[in-house]
Amino acid sequence: MGAARLKKNIIALAGVGIISFYLLIILVSLFWLPFDPVAMDTLHLLEPPSIKTGHLFGTDEFGRDILSRIMQGCSVSLIISLGATLLGAVIGTLMGIWAGFLGGKWDHLIMRVADILFSFPSLLLAIFVMGILGEKTYNVIFAIGIVYIPQFARVSRGAILTLKGNEFVKAAFSSGASKTYVLFRHLVPNIMMPLIVQVSLSLSVAILLESALSFLGMGIQPPYPSWGNMLSGARKFMLLAPWTAIYPGLAIVFLVLGFNLLGDGLRDLLDPRLRNVK
Amino acid sequence: MEEILLEVNNLRTVFDTEYGTVKAVDDISFTLRKGEVLGLVGESGCGKSVTNLSLLRLIPEPPGRISGGRILFKGKDLLVGDEEEVRLVRGGSIAMIFQDPMTSLNPLLKISLQIAEALQLHRGMGRKEALAKAAELLKAIGIPDAEARANDYPHQFSGGMRQRVMIAMAISCNPDILIADEPTTALDVTIQAQILELIKSLSGENTMSVIMITHDLGVVAGICDTICVMYAGKIVEKASVDDLFAQPLHPYTKGLLDSIPRIDAGSRKRLYSIPGSPPNLASLPPGCPFRPRCDKAMEICGREMPPETSLGDAPRSVRCWLYASGEGGLE
Amino acid sequence: MGTQVEATPEQMEELKRLFGEDKPIPVLYIEWLGRVVQGDFGFSLRTSRPILPDILQRLPLSIEITLFALVLALALGIPLGIAAALKQNPLTDIVIRITGLLGLSLPQFWLASLMVIAFSGVQGWIPMGNYISFAADPIKNLKMLFFPSLAIGTGLAAVIMRYTRNSMLEVMQQDYVRTAKAKGLKKRVVVIRHALRNAILPVITVAGFNTGYLLGGAIVIEEVFALPGMGRLALYAIYQRDYPVIQGIVLLIAAMFVLVNLVTDLIYAAVDPRIRLDEGGR
Repeated sequence: MGAARLKKNIIALAGVGIISFYLLIILVSLFWLPFDPVAMDTLHLLEPPSIKTGHLFGTDEFGRDILSRIMQGCSVSLIISLGATLLGAVIGTLMGIWAGFLGGKWDHLIMRVADILFSFPSLLLAIFVMGILGEKTYNVIFAIGIVYIPQFARVSRGAILTLKGNEFVKAAFSSGASKTYVLFRHLVPNIMMPLIVQVSLSLSVAILLESALSFLGMGIQPPYPSWGNMLSGARKFMLLAPWTAIYPGLAIVFLVLGFNLLGDGLRDLLDPRLRNVK
Repeated sequence: MEEILLEVNNLRTVFDTEYGTVKAVDDISFTLRKGEVLGLVGESGCGKSVTNLSLLRLIPEPPGRISGGRILFKGKDLLVGDEEEVRLVRGGSIAMIFQDPMTSLNPLLKISLQIAEALQLHRGMGRKEALAKAAELLKAIGIPDAEARANDYPHQFSGGMRQRVMIAMAISCNPDILIADEPTTALDVTIQAQILELIKSLSGENTMSVIMITHDLGVVAGICDTICVMYAGKIVEKASVDDLFAQPLHPYTKGLLDSIPRIDAGSRKRLYSIPGSPPNLASLPPGCPFRPRCDKAMEICGREMPPETSLGDAPRSVRCWLYASGEGGLE
Repeated sequence: MGTQVEATPEQMEELKRLFGEDKPIPVLYIEWLGRVVQGDFGFSLRTSRPILPDILQRLPLSIEITLFALVLALALGIPLGIAAALKQNPLTDIVIRITGLLGLSLPQFWLASLMVIAFSGVQGWIPMGNYISFAADPIKNLKMLFFPSLAIGTGLAAVIMRYTRNSMLEVMQQDYVRTAKAKGLKKRVVVIRHALRNAILPVITVAGFNTGYLLGGAIVIEEVFALPGMGRLALYAIYQRDYPVIQGIVLLIAAMFVLVNLVTDLIYAAVDPRIRLDEGGR
């Protein structure tokens, strides 16, 4: 039933289109890049975009090809965002299900911890976690993942609590089903959709967080390219060579927009009330 | 006879929906005289409320749209000209009260202010004067300790009191016409009687005309002079209240009356209920919309909508082939 | 990062005693809290200066940027949201939606960079190491903080625009709005006095909730525009592993959060009589 409605949903489709484009670029970048993304070329420093030289997006302060670096940075951004989101989603969802399903003191304890984490600005939390863990690429995944734990805990707990009140769950219990059976047979499948929406929106924020961390020098470490550290490097030269700042930023904006469109479109499919208002 | 205040001619209001155009109000005509209490009766969804929202052009557009007809108020057509001209009639000469008093007052504004607003606008009162008048109105309408309670917010009032507030608001500018859209449906039975009594006495004192929309024939019998029975967006029968109860003509009206529990009929008699359910306005069958539920349906009923047939004294008319010229007449 | 020379075990012991770290962590933590309550946040490991005065000196600028960004977000988001609700049709709906999502997709620091590129030639608008405080010259100060605040506030403006629009559309269908229209009020009065006041309630919650997000943004933006706020202090403390400073900043931010939540609740109560405590609403 979802697929038919998804077809009508231009917003979600546009999101899927943008994300597929990036996936295609990653695929291409595995086999071919216009230039070596880490090779310096002192003869062509800060060259403007040009078809003649082959540097379509220009070169940076070390003469490296910006397009190639953006393409290479694509997979880093996606892998880190996916890793962080999955980490946060798995831990957070388990906590949320646990809290919502068992209720009582576990619920209180888990949700208070989540509230405390949640009340902190996500970027600051990620920065502080990076400060404690140290500036390693894999630590970025932890830093962003921790930000997501409370969010997923809240979403899944809320969904479980709503479902628990439903007649079909009461009916399952009254017909003698065990707790585990009800949980996996009735509850978990029904919270998948809100979780998928949350995953999509989280991916968009994860890309922004990763780029901000890298921009501050705490994320992906140079010379390996990431969109954030490219923008960081561009800071000193952006007045002289605006292309060093513009293109990596656009790469971020469109991928983030892609996930936002997908998440927003999916949310529409989920929420019958919103569908009517529209 | 008193002068005619409001004359509605061939009013049509439609809604454009994804299932097609719904004719919520289809070719409705009636008149309202000074001091008259007119009842508009019918099942929910028959177009009563839409008719009355149309009178003040309060239909949400889109999807709604008044597609034809005239609404002559004191000789002036409210459907002609821009909305600004109707706006000054709203709340001033024609006021409305709505079905659900719990949601019809703004939760964030003080009661007194919500009443005073209309006074400031239509009576040109200053803020202070209007607020004082508002408290006075609340007192007149039977709110105990009105001075103090005027500064309360809606959530501090009960449902019955909120409906009184709505009435105070509506009559604040001495309107010529009060439109009451199911004013008692959402209230407890005991409160219902009080509210009806209040409306009745107000109309008597102020020679105010009232259009009472209801699905409850008991309400109609108590306070109305004239009754229009609506079915599927059309007025199927018009009569004075005495005529209607004494001798209902349209099979639908008869069904409605037979489905009222009566003390004098003896408890053994089973209550009648009209078979079937109201039609879907988006896909009306051709001919008379009541035909599928009518026990007197004839061949012609499925082909053509019966015309309005006048019978007896002035307001009395019916739209049914049983009475159309030559075919029926009063038995 | 930085120069790191290995210390001998004896030196380590000496250092630990000096910093009072020879006790178990919970004890240390409680001792630290005890001092914090008295206004003693301790000393920076790098500069040996007392921490609290340093933070307090930089805090006002970060708060100013955050509030300025909040004001800009509200000033942009609410009118656009109302306009979108009043001019509702399939085309504006989709434009508003995509604009809103685009606003959410812009990295604040990149937006800031674009502003620097675009406006660096215009005198006095882009601060570059020549920060002028509000006390010294309010106009120059606000001019200087406009773009940094805008860069932070744009995302929230997009969020507020969508919330305002959806909330307005819902409120415009309420019975009390119909009552207001039936009273004969001008459309402007119906929208502003009756609809907007109700529609703004969820927007207040969202704005309050996102003030922390603005504060997080302020830290990065201060870096881009070289503004001497708390964000830069925090970043350098993290770069240099200056833990007492980090601890102090975390504590202050948490305190500000509590404050923001309190203010949000107070504003909410001021607008909505139903939740005023003294009247014990239903």
